[in-house]
Amino acid sequence: MIVYSKHILDNGLTLLCHTDTGTPFVSVNTLYKVGSRDEDPGKTGFAHLFEHLMFGGSKNAPDFDREVQAAGGESNAFTTNDFTNYYITVPAGNIETALWLEADRMAALNISGKSLGTQKNVVTEEYKQRYLNAPYGDVWLALRPLAYRVHPYRWPTIGSSLEHIERATLEDVRDFFHRFYRPDNAIISISGNIGEKEALEKVKKWFGAISPGNCRKAPLPVEPEQREARRLVMKEKSVPADMLFKAYHMGDRLSDHFYRCDLISDLLSNGQSSRLYLRLVKEKGIFSNLDAYITGESDPGLFVCSGTLSEGIGMETAEEALLEELGRFVSDPIEERELRKVINKMNAHLKYSEINYQNKANTMAFFEFLGASELINGEGEKYEEITAGQLQATARELFRPENCSTLHYLKKERQTTT
Amino acid sequence: MNRINPKAPALSELKLPEGIPYSKELLPNGTELLVVNDPNQEVFKLDLLYEAGSYYQPQPLVASAAINMLTEGTTRYSAAEIAEWFDYYGAYVDPHSGFRQVELNLFSLTKYAAETIDRLAEMATESTVPAVELEVYLRNRRQHFLTEKQKTAWMARQESNRLLFGEDHPYANRVNEADYDRVTPEIVRRFYRERILSGRCCVVLSGCVTPGIKERVVRTFGEAPRPPYPQEAPVRSFAPAAPGRYNIEKPDAVQTTVRISKHGVRLPEREYAGFLLLNTIFGGYFGSRLMSNIREEKGYTYGIQSFNVSMPDTAYWCITTDVDNAYTEATLEEIRKELDRIRREPVGREELELVKQYLHGELLREIDGVFAQTDGLKQKRVYGMDNRFYATLLAALKKTTPEELLELAQNYLDPEEMYVVTVGKTVK
Repeated sequence: MIVYSKHILDNGLTLLCHTDTGTPFVSVNTLYKVGSRDEDPGKTGFAHLFEHLMFGGSKNAPDFDREVQAAGGESNAFTTNDFTNYYITVPAGNIETALWLEADRMAALNISGKSLGTQKNVVTEEYKQRYLNAPYGDVWLALRPLAYRVHPYRWPTIGSSLEHIERATLEDVRDFFHRFYRPDNAIISISGNIGEKEALEKVKKWFGAISPGNCRKAPLPVEPEQREARRLVMKEKSVPADMLFKAYHMGDRLSDHFYRCDLISDLLSNGQSSRLYLRLVKEKGIFSNLDAYITGESDPGLFVCSGTLSEGIGMETAEEALLEELGRFVSDPIEERELRKVINKMNAHLKYSEINYQNKANTMAFFEFLGASELINGEGEKYEEITAGQLQATARELFRPENCSTLHYLKKERQTTT
Repeated sequence: MNRINPKAPALSELKLPEGIPYSKELLPNGTELLVVNDPNQEVFKLDLLYEAGSYYQPQPLVASAAINMLTEGTTRYSAAEIAEWFDYYGAYVDPHSGFRQVELNLFSLTKYAAETIDRLAEMATESTVPAVELEVYLRNRRQHFLTEKQKTAWMARQESNRLLFGEDHPYANRVNEADYDRVTPEIVRRFYRERILSGRCCVVLSGCVTPGIKERVVRTFGEAPRPPYPQEAPVRSFAPAAPGRYNIEKPDAVQTTVRISKHGVRLPEREYAGFLLLNTIFGGYFGSRLMSNIREEKGYTYGIQSFNVSMPDTAYWCITTDVDNAYTEATLEEIRKELDRIRREPVGREELELVKQYLHGELLREIDGVFAQTDGLKQKRVYGMDNRFYATLLAALKKTTPEELLELAQNYLDPEEMYVVTVGKTVK
């Protein structure tokens, strides 16, 4: 259980605070409600590039990292399709340094051509390291646009191409900053060794005078229902084994559908007693690795099955075997103990996630972003209510061929090695 | 308008780490038991530690196969039944294999301790290493190996280890595809009997350790006799190669992995604190000289870092980065410049104070919470130490002067002693 308080400052900044005296640290987590889904389709990857620029210093703290380090702190950030999240953890006595730094870069970020030029290079190298130089790294560059035709989830956070990153201008940076990096578009969550009242006072002190942006976001295009099976084959890849991906459209993060799909994916592939692992990896040896998971984005996301084929197994055999298992999910009964197992596992997982103060700050900000802070402690209940019948009905709807995008990722024929 | 208080808040002085007390005892069968109790948790962790790492294996892959097979079948239960049992209680069981030690870790809710501990004990003592499970395991590991083998970073690590330790040393971790066909159930069972069922074992309990849990652990792991190891530990000598540049061409690479390594400093050595500080300044944190120059200034890479790895009988120090093929030589040049600078000029007071503060915070973070403290304790135990190490280390860091760092840099960061490994595509 995460006990917390919530306040909204006059300038629209939302604050959530949880006291954890089990750590000498405190985490200041700042979430901006802007992600790659808010980008212009001609300038993708911008939200993530901007995240890098947030470490370039601000008016009163020209060297951001220096100040964090001098306080014995640590800081990092990540960008998703939906939001951008920054955190600073510091020994609790130095919480004001963290708040000062976040406030200063929210109020007056330094924006320079030099910094933009360097970070374009850094992001370009990140792009190569993660997406081009890594085996299977380009899968999501291809799978997203196959599954999404109009919704901005069709491009990944890194951007759909290197040219887009190159195209970013200083003017884009300034516009983006003034539009989205405002207190009324941000959530601060604090967790660690600090009292809730004290945290509120300090946040008011540092952020209270920053003016709101009253930003209005255009509604995102709604992805129309997929009505035809989609297939894509990528050939001649420098990888040691073929891979199969099947992506099915599912509900949004707050829908009942999400929780059901989450449990379906657990029954299929969470742990070594899961169905796909037992049947297709162990018993039949068709896959060396097989996963079912959900993307978990805010808008309707994807339910993905991805597997690496064992040597000597053809793609057709593998796909048939996977479809057969998905079919069995719908037709064969789900035993009570099996359902209990995945719910128990989910409850344990939720407990484990409350060990770390930083995780808790993250959780609070995430659910507040979704507009559902009641779920900070409410997800366990959602899973408890689910029945086997609901799971099967959901699966029947989910695993329809016309709801699916299939990707065959094929290796280059191997030269014999000695 | 944005009115911002321009003045930075005053910093508070960082404290010394607060250690959670731990107990250590020898159980009747010689097993060592460490307990780090934090009653505020609702979960506990149980680690079984064996001296059964790859250092002791008769041929590649046997040590990791043996520890991984513990989850794959006992005299009474199949792999699927074991997996189902732990999944049902929301518990995790993870095997880990290292050069010297292997571990089997259980992470479980305290309320299910009886169910999970008993089953874990049975896995540790009654493993059957089923042939069919071993085959699946090896097939999947082989596949994974083939994927790793394509990565420039993996190739560079293999090459560096070969140069540092010698091709045949276990730390070089040399594996070929054919090795996956040479492991048989008999070989794994024998290794299991000789290194996991025999000799020294250490049990580490952490988190919410109730008296009931402790008593159960003493009963299940402390009574049955453990025969001594049947053989002396093999002596494996190091055969380091000549320092210099080693390039491996990978024509389809988009980036080149650069890995520069040399002998490092072991944790119990007198110079450890100073070297830790020196390494941090050089390439050990986000604001390090390597990062400031090669990422933030030049934009050649997404990341570059240096680190020191201490092992029971040796240590190595390493710089790693991935850069566009076109930047390889320019990157090497900048690294060389930074090495020359740190060996020529004393570190400025301001930079030194900053890094001392940063490192202090980092070390506090390293042992924040009962599970992190337990990991710290397990790591120090290898050297016959415990987490009091941190207080000593912090005191030594505080005292370190720029002159001492300069001397350390001259002694330990000599480019002439380094292996410069590059794996990628050469751009002419």
